[in-house]
Amino acid sequence: MSLHLNINGDDRLSVKDPLTPLVDVLRDEFFLTGAKVVCREGFCGACTVLLDGRPVMSCLIPVGLADGCTVRTVESLASVGALSPLQQAMEQHDAVQCGMCFPGMMISLTHFLEHTPNPNRDQLKSALTGNICRCTGYERIIDAALSLAAERSSGVQRDDHGKS
Amino acid sequence: MPMTDDRRFYVARSLPDALAALVDGGQAAVPLAGATWIMRAPIRQERQDLSYVAISRIDELRNVEILDHEIRIGACVTHAELATSLAFLPECRAIGQAAGGSANPAVRQVATIGGNLCASKFAAADLVPALMCLQAELDLETPRGPERISLEQFLQVRTSMEPGWLLRRVVVTRAACRSVHVRLPLRKAGDYPVAIVSMAAVLSTSGLVTSARVVVGSVEPAARRWKRLEADLTGCTLDAASAAEKAEKYSEDFRGRDGIEAPGWYRVKVLTSLVRRAVQAIQQES
Repeated sequence: MSLHLNINGDDRLSVKDPLTPLVDVLRDEFFLTGAKVVCREGFCGACTVLLDGRPVMSCLIPVGLADGCTVRTVESLASVGALSPLQQAMEQHDAVQCGMCFPGMMISLTHFLEHTPNPNRDQLKSALTGNICRCTGYERIIDAALSLAAERSSGVQRDDHGKS
Repeated sequence: MPMTDDRRFYVARSLPDALAALVDGGQAAVPLAGATWIMRAPIRQERQDLSYVAISRIDELRNVEILDHEIRIGACVTHAELATSLAFLPECRAIGQAAGGSANPAVRQVATIGGNLCASKFAAADLVPALMCLQAELDLETPRGPERISLEQFLQVRTSMEPGWLLRRVVVTRAACRSVHVRLPLRKAGDYPVAIVSMAAVLSTSGLVTSARVVVGSVEPAARRWKRLEADLTGCTLDAASAAEKAEKYSEDFRGRDGIEAPGWYRVKVLTSLVRRAVQAIQQES
């Protein structure tokens, strides 16, 4: 049984058992190691990816259910040489931490900000309830996301180098 | 001989296709919807030799139909979809709160109502008490044909049904009641709730409770009604302090399960506070 996935814009074929967690296929078969394997229970969010545009815990998705779907991992957020606006905001707020939870946070926030353009602090905290940080650095991450939302609502656009 | 991949995982394209695959697979075949519970089976040290019939791509299982007299929710509707679909229906507030507050955002995008009701070992399932307090019924497809049973009855038989059955949809009758779903997780970050109280009440124009349903989840292995409390609330004015006193009085009705989140006695102990909060929330509903 072969499974067809579109991962970060590329058509890929997986030959893994359809019950294999999607995160293992991403990491072990396609070497996309941005999504992290941590709890394997859907609690920590380190493996969050976008599946057909929805944030999901890829440790809980059997790859068979992703057959024919589009998958977007943290590797897709930056284009060549340029961070995404969210990533730029994180860098500017010195919010980047150890890298374990961060890819999942970026995916969750990317989706959230696309659907909630003008969030308040509580909404952002709720959006991140499934992304656990062991460095306890939530506040700067939320500050960065709020600043990006504020920029967007005031019409400021970041260029590819992060300049407003 | 080990099962092949194709036998272990089959994606059904229609309801008859799924039912045929489940009958064909016998005791070893189970439906798979969002998979969030099943994918954790190895952690729970459960059997892993089952074969799975994926049903999440069957269109008719993914619909929410809001009719004048009832709401029909397909078994593969996700928690996120359910919360959005029912957000504007005040009589379904308990379901919306349960669907929109369970687990975490990413799990809610995938976990389904059918999975929540059919995962018999999942004591902390939020939708079970919420739906039970609104007297939900289930449409099942069985080898003998379609069958409708109450959720309360389903919980009694769900582990002993003959192979080849499938939960098709959940049906909630629309009624002029107020409802609420109150849960106590240890943190907000996606923990399983220590205890859940779902409550539905019909109030007369003078403010008396003409009927009440109170369902407790996560305290015991399966959710169940708190019948003595229901009876004692009925006929009275809804009052948070009085309801909490009654809850305290009847708390011996439950034997809490010990678990990683909390010992059994604590789960029972917090019910009084949850009942108080539930009544306060119902009073605040317009």
